[in-house]
Amino acid sequence: MTNDKPMNPLEMLAFILSKQIEDHEVIYIGTGLPMVAAILAKKTHAPNITFVYESGGQDPENLEMPWSVGGPMTWRKSPIIMEMSYSFGQAACGMVDKGFLGFAQIDMYGNANTHQIGPEFTNPKVRLTGSGGNNDVSSLVDKLIYVGLQDPTKFIQKVDFITSPGWLEGGDSRKKAGLLNDGPVAVITSAGVYDFEPDTKRMRIKTLHPGVSPELAQLASGFELIRPEGEIPVTERPSKEVLEILRNEVDPSGLFISLPS
Amino acid sequence: MIFDYNQEALKNLKIEDTAKLDRLVDYRSAREAHLKKDHSQRDKRMSLHEAVAEYVSDGDIWCDSSFSYVRSALQGWWEIIRQGKKGLQAIGSPNTNQTYGVLYGTVAYTHASYTGAEMRGIDKMFSRNLKNGKVKILSDWSHGLMAQGFKAAQLGMPGCFSKQGLGSDIINHNPYLKVMQNPMSKDNDPVVFVPALFPDIVIIHVNAADKFGNARFYGPAVNDIATAAASRKVIITAEEIVSNYDIRYHAKGAQIPFNNVDAVVELPFGAAPGYMPNEYYWMRYFWEKFFSYANGSDELCQEFFDEFIMGTKNVDELIEKVGGIEWIKKSRRRARAAEGNNETDGVSFVYKIWENGMDTKDID
Repeated sequence: MTNDKPMNPLEMLAFILSKQIEDHEVIYIGTGLPMVAAILAKKTHAPNITFVYESGGQDPENLEMPWSVGGPMTWRKSPIIMEMSYSFGQAACGMVDKGFLGFAQIDMYGNANTHQIGPEFTNPKVRLTGSGGNNDVSSLVDKLIYVGLQDPTKFIQKVDFITSPGWLEGGDSRKKAGLLNDGPVAVITSAGVYDFEPDTKRMRIKTLHPGVSPELAQLASGFELIRPEGEIPVTERPSKEVLEILRNEVDPSGLFISLPS
Repeated sequence: MIFDYNQEALKNLKIEDTAKLDRLVDYRSAREAHLKKDHSQRDKRMSLHEAVAEYVSDGDIWCDSSFSYVRSALQGWWEIIRQGKKGLQAIGSPNTNQTYGVLYGTVAYTHASYTGAEMRGIDKMFSRNLKNGKVKILSDWSHGLMAQGFKAAQLGMPGCFSKQGLGSDIINHNPYLKVMQNPMSKDNDPVVFVPALFPDIVIIHVNAADKFGNARFYGPAVNDIATAAASRKVIITAEEIVSNYDIRYHAKGAQIPFNNVDAVVELPFGAAPGYMPNEYYWMRYFWEKFFSYANGSDELCQEFFDEFIMGTKNVDELIEKVGGIEWIKKSRRRARAAEGNNETDGVSFVYKIWENGMDTKDID
């Protein structure tokens, strides 16, 4: 992969996601872009983070991008491999700082869906994967961040199924539901970075990527995005050095950062 | 026992007859089944064919093992399918491998948690089969909630209280889960009651077992320690049979005690085409061909699995299909290198997307 190629949206996503990670944190990793971002973070500004996986591997010695959450790259020389119940249990007990999840659909309160497209459970248009660990991670880690591509079918008024609870119906509805943690703190897409308004808990623009106007971001959304007061900051781009690390060391075969066909 | 199911969930799942839901949470019948077993330390070795014929019955609640295609008992599962068992309820966390059984009518019902191919995408075959009624979802779960159900069973608790699932649609699509007030709190504190879960049969693939069933494995346990204790019937398939002495004096010890086990099968490559910690890497030819070639259509899926599952009598024939001794040598080296137990020079972890005309040499 030549380094002269212009940065693509997935690489931008991986970079922004990696910036959410602070050094020394414990991070719950799932498959796909979150893994790329975490490995990039570890190779750049956060070399001392600890990865944990739902298959139980903890802090593996890094070699290559894992193909499966259960595969050897997630537990290579791990000091400990926990049973699945313990892996989620430690998140419930307050040991896990951040988690990253993807989404098939997400609504204005950050409720996410990976179960189905189409409203009818017994006969959806498409059955997706189901929850896997998504519901658990979103319910248990200290800070949850979503990452994914953005279009009006994904940023949707009402998700077809709530796999992972966000801020539910806004306001204090999540607290009332009894969840241990807060709803998502950020949603990172191909258009920009979003956070949630403190009172209503509605999704709000935080930064927009270079070249993306608020109107364009809104066009790519099926619900109304809240705009912040004042000028909207432009998302920071990765430096040439970071891009090189991403392309040459983190995902050299372009498994995740090549654009999907 | 008369069970109190989540009525809203029954409605959403369109379940009218709840009788088939009972056995999964009937801890008294599970205890009876375990009490009635022969508890002696005796030689339980038999062939895979015998073990499956004896211990797997039509309509059983079959539990998937380990993590998808890492140390899962795929050969044991394919033998169940080949022997024509029918009407199983599939459960597991993840529940990836049920998909083969759904295709062949082995699996009629599922307690869904995850079916898919991780970063390779969704399981389109499973989605199609769900829509055309080949499988019916009896309950929907997250990995963690189901793991808690299995753990409660292992620890002898009728159930436990969880903080997972709250606020989601999983609760109202699962007859076994209910939101309740935490009995220990006077403040409003919703919790989810997760009943202990008892599959009928689980096949677990391990690195080594003695003839009594004490079993040792490397890599993630996932839910195997819990399901080995919970399930009414347990078959162990092992890369090798070792002596009881070896189990006692090995630094790793045993993770599964003999008392859980009904049958022990010596089955090298029993996790193939999946990955086996310390032993062998994934059979890329199988997986790449499946993802690139078959996943898109019913006909191609049928053709593909007829060739690999129905078309092989046992794992020896599968290994011949993907390169025989060459595959074994390459695969062992790759697994050991991936785990940091071997030099990595000359070992490639890059895989190629399968294209028409490729054979085993091209892809591996």
